[in-house]
Amino acid sequence: MAHLHIKNLQAGYGKKMILDNINLTVEQGEMIALLGPSGCGKTTLLNALCGFVPVSNGEIFAGDRAVSQLPAEKRNITMVFQSYALWPHMTVAQNIGYGLKVQKAKRVEIENRVTELLNIVKLEGLEDEKVTALSGGQRQRVALARALAIRPDVLVLDEPLSNLDAKVRLSVRHEIKALQKQLGFTSLIVTHDQEEALVMADRIAVLNQGKIEQIGTPEEIYHHPSTPFVADFMGAENHIEWPTNDDAFHLSLNNHAAPLDIYFRSENAVLSTQPSAIKDDFHTGLVINGHVAQSVFFGNNYQISVRCGKHTIQADHDQNLPEHTPVTLRVPIDALYAFTKNEKHSEHQKNHAVSV
Amino acid sequence: MRQTTSRNLLKNHLWLIAPAALMVGIFFLYPLCFSLYSAITLDNGAFTLSHLHKAFELYSNDILFTIVIVLSSVVILAVLSVTIAALITLSPFRSLTKTLGFLYRLPLFIPFIVTAQMMRTFLAKNGLMNNAFVASGLLTPMDTVSFLGWSGIIITFVWKQLAFSTLLISGAMAALDDSQIRAARNLGASRLRILFQIILPQIIPTLGVAMVLSIVTMMSVLSVPLMIGTGSPTMMTADMAFRINSYGDYHVANALGLVSYCICAGLAWFYLRQNLKEKGAN
Repeated sequence: MAHLHIKNLQAGYGKKMILDNINLTVEQGEMIALLGPSGCGKTTLLNALCGFVPVSNGEIFAGDRAVSQLPAEKRNITMVFQSYALWPHMTVAQNIGYGLKVQKAKRVEIENRVTELLNIVKLEGLEDEKVTALSGGQRQRVALARALAIRPDVLVLDEPLSNLDAKVRLSVRHEIKALQKQLGFTSLIVTHDQEEALVMADRIAVLNQGKIEQIGTPEEIYHHPSTPFVADFMGAENHIEWPTNDDAFHLSLNNHAAPLDIYFRSENAVLSTQPSAIKDDFHTGLVINGHVAQSVFFGNNYQISVRCGKHTIQADHDQNLPEHTPVTLRVPIDALYAFTKNEKHSEHQKNHAVSV
Repeated sequence: MRQTTSRNLLKNHLWLIAPAALMVGIFFLYPLCFSLYSAITLDNGAFTLSHLHKAFELYSNDILFTIVIVLSSVVILAVLSVTIAALITLSPFRSLTKTLGFLYRLPLFIPFIVTAQMMRTFLAKNGLMNNAFVASGLLTPMDTVSFLGWSGIIITFVWKQLAFSTLLISGAMAALDDSQIRAARNLGASRLRILFQIILPQIIPTLGVAMVLSIVTMMSVLSVPLMIGTGSPTMMTADMAFRINSYGDYHVANALGLVSYCICAGLAWFYLRQNLKEKGAN
């Protein structure tokens, strides 16, 4: 059964519409990541779900209730905030138990639930600490426990990891995912970090300018982006407009007569310094000749910027290369994301010839 | 090396603060010390408590009256300014909060003496307020009551100080992270509950500052008790003016000054102690 159902949702601030015709269904116990660049409307979507931004059109169903016209305090959708939003004048236990206190639960009941949640988020023994005495990771766990305490219909997380430092972020990320599997809560997580979305979510919805561009499993989104925006956002940072009118590029696709937008990842561009060393075979979709413009050390490899006519292409390589070295890049056919340009040159469609 | 340089710098540039220090010394410290000295000495410089004794003997009722008036004003002030600030912070009606946000600041720019004059014409038996009631048929001229007196003083103090304390308190409320309020709302808390359990506990220090500063201001106003008070009992500032103007008796006036200084200092001490306690707890 769908646990959260968003139907034709429109929302915005004042006259400015941010979200346009959003349709999204989240199953019971599923975690969906809303992924997109800053300003794409992902936080506005969470705010509209929670009741902090008025819904101007459409409907939201949480469980079997229509909630879009209910005030925030009656929706039973709780949020974990980027800034934790803990109350500094309360202890850890008071923060976690606040929602139950509001619901006028019995004291013993609140105490038991707080202890249970402290165990779940691994903060046993800290119930009487002031929240200001905790570290960032601990604070975010208290915020998570506070949001889960009232057993919400849906839990939404607004960039919960972005205020944490890199190491803590990895552990909290893992913990949230483990908790979600263990407790089975239905949740939406907002992030602009594609790795975070891939690791945590059961499905990913990529948002752009207030619309959902694509929704699917992490594998689908990563390997089969359906629009140029998704391809670019999921790390296929190299972009070529075909035809390039440049002899340095050789494309062997089925229907490359039509104008195309081609995207591929730097890790898929195989770089060789000896032009004739590798024979082109039917797996090679794109061959590019150029010379090294820059080489940057990336830890486990070097990222080489290759200058080819007007274009600069990024490719990964295991060795540092001096500038101006002539190189050849080969991109396998199944690593190319090609989208035919339509007549207006504004919208794009996936070129099915590539999805072999 | 570095320390010597900064020490030298301090020595060489000490004169920079001299004008400010001189101003404070001449116009504040000297009069204050002289006033304290005058309150406890005779004309020949000998120590005495007779001025203080006389001040209490003649004006203990007025001292009590002053304390009651100031404390009542400050309680009403706290309630009203917290209410207005809360409306501005929590109300879902944007246009209402905008109007309120503009209106409450107006008294900030009106001096006490103008406020007092305004209140005289507004609160008197045949003043604007009663005339309006009579004109609207709510009261007959026989039923009208003058608010000049203790209630008028309180109304004037509250009206005048409301802008200042609301400004401080709504500033403190606006400085709270909005997501703290949102977090409480989606856990089911009503706006009233959020005000009392989330917002107020966090702005208590600012509320304290606003109230202590308002008390000190109210203790020092002369025009309001003179223009709105009925004469007896009256506030200590009026008594001080009377001692000086009618008798040229600076000693007793200064003794009354000492008493009012002690009341303010007592409140300040109470406030600071509370503040330090909270900081210690954190």
